[in-house]
Amino acid sequence: MSERKVVQTLCRMCDDRCAINVYLEDGKIVDIDGYKDHPWNRGRLCVKARAAVDMVYHTERLLKPLKRTKTGFEEIPLQQALDEIAEKMLAIKEKHGARSLSIWKGEAIGFAQEEEMARRFVHALGSPNYFSNDSMCYNGRYFGYRLVEGAWPVPDYENSLCVVLWGANPPHAHPNMTQMIMRARKAGAKMIVVDPRMSAIARQADLHATLKPGTDGALALGLIQQLIETQGFDREFVEGYTVGFAALAEYVKAFSPERVEKETGVAAAIVREMARAMAAAAPRVAVYVGNGPEHHENGINNIRAVACLDAILGALDREGGNRLAEGFKANHLTLYDEIPLKHLGPIGADRFPVLYGFRQECHTMTAMNTILSGEPYPLRAMILTAANPAMTNPNTLKVREALESLDLFVVRDLFMTETAELADYVLPAASFLERVELHTHAKYQRVTITHKILSYPDVQDEYQFWHDLAHRLGIGEYFPWEDENELTRWILESAGISLELAAAHPEGLEYAPIRYQKWEKEPFNTPSGKVEFSSQYLKDLGYPALPEYKPPAYLESPDPDYPYVLITGARKLIYYHSRFRNIKRFRTAIPGPEVELHPENAAALGVADGDRIRITSRIGNVEVPVKIMSASEILPGTLQVTHGWKEANVNLLTHDDRFDPISGFPLMKAVEVRLEKVCI
Amino acid sequence: MRIVAVDPTSCVACRNCEYACAFKQTGDFDTKDSNIRVNFYPEERVCIPWTCVHCGEGWCMEICPAGAILRNPETGAVEIDANHCAGCKMCLLACPSGSIHFDKVQLVSKKCDLCGGDPACVKFCTSGALQFVEEDEAYSFRRESFDTKLKALFGLSKRGS
Repeated sequence: MSERKVVQTLCRMCDDRCAINVYLEDGKIVDIDGYKDHPWNRGRLCVKARAAVDMVYHTERLLKPLKRTKTGFEEIPLQQALDEIAEKMLAIKEKHGARSLSIWKGEAIGFAQEEEMARRFVHALGSPNYFSNDSMCYNGRYFGYRLVEGAWPVPDYENSLCVVLWGANPPHAHPNMTQMIMRARKAGAKMIVVDPRMSAIARQADLHATLKPGTDGALALGLIQQLIETQGFDREFVEGYTVGFAALAEYVKAFSPERVEKETGVAAAIVREMARAMAAAAPRVAVYVGNGPEHHENGINNIRAVACLDAILGALDREGGNRLAEGFKANHLTLYDEIPLKHLGPIGADRFPVLYGFRQECHTMTAMNTILSGEPYPLRAMILTAANPAMTNPNTLKVREALESLDLFVVRDLFMTETAELADYVLPAASFLERVELHTHAKYQRVTITHKILSYPDVQDEYQFWHDLAHRLGIGEYFPWEDENELTRWILESAGISLELAAAHPEGLEYAPIRYQKWEKEPFNTPSGKVEFSSQYLKDLGYPALPEYKPPAYLESPDPDYPYVLITGARKLIYYHSRFRNIKRFRTAIPGPEVELHPENAAALGVADGDRIRITSRIGNVEVPVKIMSASEILPGTLQVTHGWKEANVNLLTHDDRFDPISGFPLMKAVEVRLEKVCI
Repeated sequence: MRIVAVDPTSCVACRNCEYACAFKQTGDFDTKDSNIRVNFYPEERVCIPWTCVHCGEGWCMEICPAGAILRNPETGAVEIDANHCAGCKMCLLACPSGSIHFDKVQLVSKKCDLCGGDPACVKFCTSGALQFVEEDEAYSFRRESFDTKLKALFGLSKRGS
């Protein structure tokens, strides 16, 4: 009789982190399903979660350290790999200085304490150069909202009467958010979706504003104009808790519904209807901005304009609105106060001071230039943990050239990715079922611990790796904890929670009760302590103080050589960026890349479903099979290609030289392209 | 008995249910193997998930010449015994909602068996459009959503006032 056991933990196949039951037979994981008692997902899961069984036992898993030799990768003992890496790092540090060393923390191992460990390590080394995928995801929205409200709030969907999904497609990108939105709808909430595509969530929208990519700011300013003109705004909140209202009110006067229609393509009547629906539901309006508005040259000001709506509607931190979640007050691993390193010139901090100022994060696209040019100083070594920039960063050819030219490039990952193939050393990384970590769900203000359920002999968890390397590099004092359990115990210490208590609560522990309208007693986390429609901080840095609108380049100065506009990076349910292409049944469901095309454009090109077209931008070209959409599913002249496909890597087309000036986010969702049918 | 209740006003045609069911049947994600099907009509913006409702008097059961379709006494599910199915496809014709499909490899009819009382489609439904509930409560949400409309129509809500 085999021994069957169940362990509750969190899934980390994506960043939703749903609670799961992991079923084991004789120590081997045999099944995964949803854990009903965690309020986050209430037992429901997407199909990625069950595929974690396949991922951890995948025949392609990296289980031994590899070293690049003249004839290819060769297995070497773990201790030798760490010794050699440490030796090379010390030599590079000696020759070029500490700041020539860098860390890139990847998406595939998650954030939370994994991120803090990486930040601690590179800082202890004396280098300010911490990189991550946040250079092009998340930070943009975080900045937009932080600049206006002092934080990125959490939509209080279930208590809302109007849910607005702005460039967000939860069913594919944050599957678990879908049930929250649908519960709100069942209780009578209206749903408004802003998206150039009829995304999965737009299939149930009461109102769908199909705006042209990158014109989000014009629509948001138009809504503010309508709300002010129709007296649909919260005068008391605006007068008591905001700065810059008069200037904003003056600025939005130019954004009449008719002007908005001209800028965005959204009919003036829809703009009015959206404003009416929001005003009728106020303050119970919950707005969630997705990745859509981030990848544009005016992305942050567009997001700031959307963020201003919370305050205009009086929805900020009110029940059913956008709540300012309280953080988990635990010990942090970062060393920014103990070892300030800003004087060493973090990569990108001069050009994008908000990026470093708010997030102590360096700019990955600038890093590629720095590696190749040696300017303003040499960047010669990088340890990259489970990221895949050779697929996911813009301008793939340059990324590959840069990473290949490093003196030392170490990649930790579960699989041999396109990026790992460029490394000098490839170390096997632990999956989320092979390490201990604390996760917080801001929506419920709960902290949940995850468990090490299995392990492989030469596969280190993140902490063990940083610990062992730190002790070889003379910075062992910063990694004194014996193992990840002791580290986690220390993180929990200041919160007064023991490791044992956390482990006894698979449904999570509430670390602070949910409170609304905290602004009645506490200032906002902005320089003025109020909501900032107008930002002196940005003005002092040379940016516009107001969330000014600038039309995207493809509309303002169309390039006749590149008449189409390409959106990249819309997620698919079963893939997470470039991950999971090696799960066999996922390939059955979605076998390969495709370009989503309007039927009129397909007819003009003379292509049928499955025919290949060549897409060319000023950066490069790629051939992709066509998927002809229904006329209502995508705007004519607009196309979409999802990232992460080796067979047709869309980032061969994307720009690494056109940025939002505040966040440094690259233009990836309004790329000018031309199309040709590929004749066979 | 409990059935899989569907709510087309919550479904986003994400296909988690189809993948989860297909996986349960074959270990793969070919949605043709799924016993639950989601139809999406883009021009009308309509999503309809549908699977067997395990009729009180199942026409498939009545018509099956092999007597291969029986009710599971524990779950109440109407189940096809693949060992007795002759592959005549009469049940496909008899089912008024098209909830039975034909397995071209095994040459037998296939339909929902409620996974023995813990249906995978519901567990992997991220929108909540699928609920595994007692049949007499299955569509109570219709009344609730009607109540919501009445509340709005007559301005009955006292919340926040």
